Amino acid sequence: MKWWRGPGAAGRGLDGLNLLVANVQTGFGPFIAVYLTTRGWTQTSIGLALTIGTVTAMASQIPAGALVDAVQRKTTIAAASILAFTASALLLAVAPQPLPVYLAEMLHGFSSCTLGPAIAAMSLALAGGKALGARLGRNARYASIGNAMGAALMGACGYLLSSQSVFFLAAALTLPTVLTLGPLRAVDQPVDERRKAKAVRAPLRAVLADRRLVTFAACAMLFTCGNAAMLPLAGAAITKGEPTEASLLVAAFIVLPQLIVAALSPAIGELAQTRGRRPILILGFCVLPLRGAAFSTIANPFYLLPVQLLDGISAACLAVLVPLVVSDISAWSGHYNLSLGVVGFAIGIGAASSTMIAGPIADRFGDPAALIFLTMVALAATLLAAVAMPETARNW
Amino acid sequence: MKYGTVLALGMLLAGQAAAQSPAPVAPQASPPTLETVEPLAGEGILGKSVWGAGGENMGLVTDVIVDQGGVPQAAVIDFGGFLGVGSRKIAVDWSLLQFQPGNDKMPVKLSLNPAALKSAPEYKPSDQSIKIVGPPPDMK
Repeated sequence: MKWWRGPGAAGRGLDGLNLLVANVQTGFGPFIAVYLTTRGWTQTSIGLALTIGTVTAMASQIPAGALVDAVQRKTTIAAASILAFTASALLLAVAPQPLPVYLAEMLHGFSSCTLGPAIAAMSLALAGGKALGARLGRNARYASIGNAMGAALMGACGYLLSSQSVFFLAAALTLPTVLTLGPLRAVDQPVDERRKAKAVRAPLRAVLADRRLVTFAACAMLFTCGNAAMLPLAGAAITKGEPTEASLLVAAFIVLPQLIVAALSPAIGELAQTRGRRPILILGFCVLPLRGAAFSTIANPFYLLPVQLLDGISAACLAVLVPLVVSDISAWSGHYNLSLGVVGFAIGIGAASSTMIAGPIADRFGDPAALIFLTMVALAATLLAAVAMPETARNW
Repeated sequence: MKYGTVLALGMLLAGQAAAQSPAPVAPQASPPTLETVEPLAGEGILGKSVWGAGGENMGLVTDVIVDQGGVPQAAVIDFGGFLGVGSRKIAVDWSLLQFQPGNDKMPVKLSLNPAALKSAPEYKPSDQSIKIVGPPPDMK
């Protein structure tokens, strides 16, 4: 049987898309800093290049969402975003000089902001509102398998070949990624016609002023603020405590939660459909302060590994809930992707402030103090979600 | 404050050094002399990989710390981690490093093993004083 034909082809295409996109994205992570170091870049110029990428991504979130809303065919914008990744990876591999690297960072920052919402919109078109939870669970499963595969493949490439080869691999992987969009073109069409039939969009104000969207964005921001700096801090503690096995342990810290996500996220998607979004939100949020408390008190890295597995639970819940809750709130309005951009922007602020606040605390008062701070933020996020975030599913 | 006057400067490849920190030139001086260094006699070390006493990969040179006379005091090494996550910067005493210009496989050797860096403090450029990991007392 050919995977791109027959019933379920679009679903398989979306599975493959999530897997491969996550695979490619691994190459654009913190590894860029290592690569540029091997190319003789100073730490200051590396910091500047990475900041350009972060600022671009932050500034693009909302405009990119509006762009995805405006483009009829989501497969077209997804293909364009993936090809921008190809260009970005090739620029990094071939021309590690300032201007090409800045350009690559900007290309990647912007197209990440169009690709994420485009995938969510295609999922909604494929599954429909009622089955979206299960579909997003599947997306999260394949994305986490892709992350784990990417870490393994690119880790091996960087170790055995060269750090440059990582970016050639990322570029090569974008080509099969574009091919997975083929069967998705079939589901792209009906949505357009439905929208044309409606031909009306709610005023933007009505969506952005929705108290649920604002509350959810605030919850997601606080959660990310508590979460983002936790792994780097714990990672530094591991290299300090166990230098001989450090690389292996850090790799386990990254990959094992992904396996938990792969195992749990379909069930979490189903639960969000049958039991509502709130219980999943509370579950995903309340394990973060537990993880933070354990990180700040336990010193032995081997005992910390099971604690890190809790990250998989949070990640699975968030991966399902962000596109799902936002679709509950705004899918009807024609501003779904823009609303996703708003939440994405809030998450970006949370991630940036996390390292910006935790870093100086760690410098001045030590890593445990920074971890306690992050735990407090995580606790605040959980409380905010429990008190202020209403159920968004329509049947409850 | 032993290293209070130590300046942290990136030791850059020749071209970049010229672009970023041009040496002050007297207005009507005669043209500077040009020295040719053979590949095996010297090369830039920023970003080169550092190998431990037992042949294990210890990380990358990210910076060089020099004193007021420009004499290197320590190298900053980005140590450990996986795909850029969880690495730590450590300053190690210059005397612990051996350089092998032209040897692409092991350009810099560090006569310490990873376990010796276990409790080493992290290098932070913002700190008033820089903590440098030196040789064990019996080696001095």
